[in-house]
Amino acid sequence: MAVNIRSIKIAVISVLVLAISIGGVIFAGYLVKLDREIRDRFAGARWALPAQVYAAPQELYAGLPLNSGDLVHELQRLGYRDDARLEMTGTYSAGAQRVDVYARGFDFWDGVQAPERLSVSFSGDVITDITDTDKNQPRDLVRLDPMLIGSIYPKQGEDRVLVKLSDVPPLLPKGLVAVEDHGFYSHSGISIKAIFRAGVANLRAGHVVQGGSTLTQQLIKNFFLTSKQTWDRKFNEASMAMLLESHYSKDEILEAYLNEVHLGQDGNRAVHGFGLGSHFYFNKPLNELRPQEIALLVGMVKGPSYYNPRRNPKRATTRRNLVLGIFRDEGLITDAEYQADIQLPLGVVGGRGGGVERYPAFVDLVKRQLENDYKDEDLTNEGLRIFTTLDPRVQETLETHVMDQLPLIEKSRKMKAGALEAAGAVTSADRGDVLALVGGRDVRFPGFNRALDSRRSIGSLAKPFVYLTALEHPEQYNLESMIDDQPIELKLPGAPVWTPKNYDRQLHGPQHLYMALAHSMNLPTVRLGLSLGPAAVLKTMREAGYAGDAKALPSIFLGAVDASPLQMAEMYGTLASGGFHAEPSAIREVQTKEGKPLQRYPLQIKQVFSDGPVYLLTWAMEKVMTIGTGSSAYSVLSPNTVLAGKSGTTDDYRDSWFAGFGADRVTVIWVGRDDNRSTGLSGSSGALRIWMRVMKDLHVRSLDNIPPASVEEISIDPASGLRADEQCIDAISVPYLRNSGPQEWAPCAAQADQSGPMQWLKDIFGN
Amino acid sequence: MVPRYVDVRSKLIVVTVALLLAACQTTSGTHQVYPGTTGPEGEPLSTPPKPDAAPLQVPEVLPQAQVPIPDYPKTAGQISGAAVTSLMKRASDYRKAGQPDQAAGTLERALRIEPRNYFVWSALAQAYLAQKNYAQAESMAQKSNALARGNVYVALENWKTISAAASAQGDAAGAAAADAQIAAIQARLAAAAPTAP
Repeated sequence: MAVNIRSIKIAVISVLVLAISIGGVIFAGYLVKLDREIRDRFAGARWALPAQVYAAPQELYAGLPLNSGDLVHELQRLGYRDDARLEMTGTYSAGAQRVDVYARGFDFWDGVQAPERLSVSFSGDVITDITDTDKNQPRDLVRLDPMLIGSIYPKQGEDRVLVKLSDVPPLLPKGLVAVEDHGFYSHSGISIKAIFRAGVANLRAGHVVQGGSTLTQQLIKNFFLTSKQTWDRKFNEASMAMLLESHYSKDEILEAYLNEVHLGQDGNRAVHGFGLGSHFYFNKPLNELRPQEIALLVGMVKGPSYYNPRRNPKRATTRRNLVLGIFRDEGLITDAEYQADIQLPLGVVGGRGGGVERYPAFVDLVKRQLENDYKDEDLTNEGLRIFTTLDPRVQETLETHVMDQLPLIEKSRKMKAGALEAAGAVTSADRGDVLALVGGRDVRFPGFNRALDSRRSIGSLAKPFVYLTALEHPEQYNLESMIDDQPIELKLPGAPVWTPKNYDRQLHGPQHLYMALAHSMNLPTVRLGLSLGPAAVLKTMREAGYAGDAKALPSIFLGAVDASPLQMAEMYGTLASGGFHAEPSAIREVQTKEGKPLQRYPLQIKQVFSDGPVYLLTWAMEKVMTIGTGSSAYSVLSPNTVLAGKSGTTDDYRDSWFAGFGADRVTVIWVGRDDNRSTGLSGSSGALRIWMRVMKDLHVRSLDNIPPASVEEISIDPASGLRADEQCIDAISVPYLRNSGPQEWAPCAAQADQSGPMQWLKDIFGN
Repeated sequence: MVPRYVDVRSKLIVVTVALLLAACQTTSGTHQVYPGTTGPEGEPLSTPPKPDAAPLQVPEVLPQAQVPIPDYPKTAGQISGAAVTSLMKRASDYRKAGQPDQAAGTLERALRIEPRNYFVWSALAQAYLAQKNYAQAESMAQKSNALARGNVYVALENWKTISAAASAQGDAAGAAAADAQIAAIQARLAAAAPTAP
């Protein structure tokens, strides 16, 4: 039996040894696997970094029409703070004729601009001088840091702005360690003491009040694991935490934590890391946060939703003050600072107003333009820096008037509040840069982007292209040509007889070409269009930038053509720039996350019309503003401001449009209903009311009216349409393409009966 | 009423007379801001002399050799603000350093400040030419010409750009047309004694 017992003993021991060995091998294998996972995760790019989208920077230079109030407004939008000491970047101090700024540095596409203290002097509404006060040197041109206006993150995705430990304010890592993991610098990934302490506290409270996880464990949890509370998960977490500690320094782990931590939710977007948290809650970079702001963010780590300062400000304040107390107890701030800081408001910027996600319609356009050149993953993962054309001042102007005017229009028309919708675009006249875009009256709502996606009938906005086609034929048409205003009946194959009418249903007799446009008369326009042919008019529209699928039918003369507001801005931009077409562009440059230039979106233009006919058309569109359907604009605009425009109204008053330009800006506004029902609004009674206020506040520059070499101005007697001289009291100056003006003298002219100098000209031209 | 055929010689005479008359006009200064506006970009802009604006009332014809050139700005500095002048200098440094894309980016920045500064457009055309982007080089030069309103000095540079861009694209006719413009301007410049402002 003894042998038997011994053999059993040996067998058991063998099995045990074998089991332990196998177990050891499996465990070792498991650790190796975890180790590889950790190293893989930490080795390369640790996060998918969404592309960051920036507005155009505000340029400052002597001669810029900007007053001190405007500059302060601009600085506040960028999260600059009024602090006369100017100890920190992102601060300013304002007087009536001088603003001192400690400007942030920024890594621009064409080079780094270092932080600098500037003194900007004004004379009235113009900047007169900019001085770098540290170096006491004048500066010709300075850019403010551009506003971060959004990021391109994957659906349901994480968004973050990476920071380096060396760049964050020292209080942040110290405070975070003090609050979340006091023994961080001494433990090896897990802390038995902390687990024990938490256990006691939880037992005492009867429920979980404290976690025993170290920062390392929290990081592991966020990085690799779900938040399910199971034993094997806990075991995994602890093993990985220790492995992580064996490979990486405390600073590396802390830096990863600062960038990983979840700090809030913004719709589908998860706000991760203190870098983005700082922008999201305070609209400024992390290194400008003050102790009470750092305390709030550190406090939120415990529960970003529970302590959400926007939704639960009281709870957030209590938590912040508790954290400030720990800061004081740890000697990170003085008691005096503590006493002062707990009195301060949270200082959180309102909702989506924090710069990020503020301009959904515009950022939508940016994404679409980027999608032509970049794969989705590049945009959501590579941390690209996208520099755009958005001008926050122009955007604010457009938004303000859309939001203010719609309720007034509804009220004056006894419409239900909220019945109307609107969209608009402002572009730069010579380059096609999209400066501002509004996709609906709820300007912060990232829903249906009417500025890009609504395709509405353009009505009379089509007319300038009919008239331009005519004016390209100087042998047939000029601005003074007479056009009949007579009923028209058109029978087209397979369609009912078309009998267009003037808006007022009246007939007005023969009209000068420019008057027919100024008063937006339908019958003369159709007559003109028919003589040119729908194909020719459609060609003109396409050259101007129309890219839709309208057929070459006579109905296009009156705007039976669908287009979006941005497309109209493109077409009118071609007119505004004297016949040069430019695609609307929202992007200027793209940089890698390291700040290396990756791609520039260069200006691209193409001459599609000669300057002469466009000049003549613009002259007629100025008449729209002075004596035609746009004239009510001058109830708001200064009469010295020379603008060109056109109203658009569609059948049954479904769409109200106004489009036009000065020397530097093109603005298009659409007002209508989403259900496409009648609004009762013409272009003048709806869209124009927004348009004229936008143009006024943009201080849009007057058209200069210097005729190109191909155009000559001739003094004309309006009654006869013939040449006038000083004798003709009603004479007006009208531009003609060279050699296409009238040769004969009007009856009122002194030369009428004699063979004056004109006879000489007639002889030359063999007339 | 409208002549469909105009004898080239007659046309020349008319233009010559017009130019002559224009020369007699006094031209305003070169640092004018658009009247009556307070635009966001206080762009200094020249009011070009109008060579063609004079009424055709004097039927004398003078030999072309005596036609003076109106007092057009010759350099960007004459119509540009300090900010644009400094950007143009920077752009020229980039070009000399063989970085035409940086040069073009800098010139575009200048255009955002002074969108109708035809010297900037002209320099941008040259930057595109250096980048071998011939179509855009031509377009920018045309744009400069359109804004320059007859400034022969800028036009000369622009036609050179257009000629080079056209040849590079194998457009012999376009290059020849541009060369004809260059020859015409050079003949004018050679024949004319510049007038005092």
